[in-house]
Amino acid sequence: MRPENYKPVKHPPSEEYDLYFGPNHPGIEGNYALKVRLSGDEVQHVRADGGYLHRGFEKLMEERLWIQNIALVPRICVPDPVPMEETYSRAVEILGQIEVPERAQWIRTLCLEMSRVTAHLFYFGGHAATMGMYSNMFWGVSDRDRVLDLFEELTGARVYHMYTTPGGVRRDIPEGFLQRLSETLDYLETRLPEFDDLFFANPVVENRARGAGPMSPEQALEWGVTGPNLRACGLPFDLRRDDPYLVYDQLEFDIPTRSEGDAYARTMVRREELIQSIYILRQVIARLPSVKGPIRAPLPNPLAWNLPHGDAYTRTESSKGELGFFVVSNGGTRPWRVHVRGPSQMHAVQVLEQITVGQRLEDVAQIMFSLDACPPEVDR
Amino acid sequence: MTQQVPEQLHAVFREIPGIRVQHDSERRVRVTLRADTLPALLELLKGRGGYLHLSAISCVEWPESDEFELVYHLWSYESKMMVSAHIRIPRDPGRFISVYDIHSPAGFFERDIHEMYGVFFDGAPDMGKFILTEWDGPPPMRKDFSTLGYVNDTYEWQPYQPEWLQQAEQKGARVLPQEGPDGPLRKTR
Repeated sequence: MRPENYKPVKHPPSEEYDLYFGPNHPGIEGNYALKVRLSGDEVQHVRADGGYLHRGFEKLMEERLWIQNIALVPRICVPDPVPMEETYSRAVEILGQIEVPERAQWIRTLCLEMSRVTAHLFYFGGHAATMGMYSNMFWGVSDRDRVLDLFEELTGARVYHMYTTPGGVRRDIPEGFLQRLSETLDYLETRLPEFDDLFFANPVVENRARGAGPMSPEQALEWGVTGPNLRACGLPFDLRRDDPYLVYDQLEFDIPTRSEGDAYARTMVRREELIQSIYILRQVIARLPSVKGPIRAPLPNPLAWNLPHGDAYTRTESSKGELGFFVVSNGGTRPWRVHVRGPSQMHAVQVLEQITVGQRLEDVAQIMFSLDACPPEVDR
Repeated sequence: MTQQVPEQLHAVFREIPGIRVQHDSERRVRVTLRADTLPALLELLKGRGGYLHLSAISCVEWPESDEFELVYHLWSYESKMMVSAHIRIPRDPGRFISVYDIHSPAGFFERDIHEMYGVFFDGAPDMGKFILTEWDGPPPMRKDFSTLGYVNDTYEWQPYQPEWLQQAEQKGARVLPQEGPDGPLRKTR
């Protein structure tokens, strides 16, 4: 957003210059670069340049057993790993016609929403950091750590949980865990007004973020935008509601939307989603103790699984948008092909190249972060 | 359990010669069709069925039949249904038409498939490298490209026995057998 007294300076073409933006900068959750063409401080043209985090997961997964891949998938997206495990596991379950016990479905939903809370807290901190507001960044990261503590208690790991497996989850909820989760949610709710004061209702933030990187609903649909970025354009589409999985059809929640489609709207949608995730988690906490039964389907030795010939495309609403896994089996002990469709593959490449044109250089990092683009997901 | 395909979709499928339709679960329709009829299907699905969202294009290699399978996953925000359209193209010459004009997200997926499998899409806006900028070898996702073979050809095996490992072994830690002729070895450049 430009200040009121902004007067554009017309530069002759020879004044245009290129800037290599990245691969280390605060605008993104990982290494990624943009080749920016500038005239003065106005962006004329942008080309995304990825590949810094390519680890060849899709190829590696073809050479590992079905169960071994559980150790690989969460690494595809660091800030929000649970949807990766969930989507892969669900594809394997469809291929192997495995029925997941009800209790495991509730625990998985709990994990997915906890992961969404951590990802959104991380996002609040990151978006503030792109504007030079580091207090909010420390707050976001430290509050996220409280949920990571709970993840550590539940799964033994803070980030790469490897907790969701085909057929269920790895272990049951520890005693008193739901109480501690409930207390953490209380704490997060008390923190929200403070975040409002510092960040969301801060006039400086509003001035910077309003009008930055806007898109219309038509453009968003045309460019394949999904998740909170799509909802920030006023389109109430959410896979948890439209293509429900696990127990989401038994849960109550709103789908928050905004109409502006700019960086501020994207941030405010995520703020509302955090509240909705806390609301969902409270429902799960209330319901989970009464759902008895096993946490895993009875399965044979996981090192000797042969899944029948076929393919499955599963999708999950991750904190960044639509996450898809296309898994193909040729009847063997290993996947024949796994294709990962991350939401950032659209947001960080084609969408970013379009919406940054005409913006100011100092807003580029902010626009990148407001899309919540995750480069490891693009590179895989 | 095969379910009834909604009438709107059925009308679209009737226009496509040689299409095979499978409708196994509530929100998933799997269709197999001839490659040359795919653009027509995408146009019809977008125009008449409201399938505005191209979720992904996946490529699968089938060396036995010497073919690539391309799968176009389309989602309708109106009818909340997903159509996965499967086509097969010959591995040689590995060319197909771009659907960028119909769905612009195809730009990314086609570029990715070109980079990883070497399939060329005619009419795509950009077939330049994106992830493997410094890679000159064969398309790495092809089945005949072996990652282990590449490692063996490119790097040399060297003995690796640091002090901590020896101490751990003396204390009875079980070290997983490593590849190589004489005990634990690690690859170094």
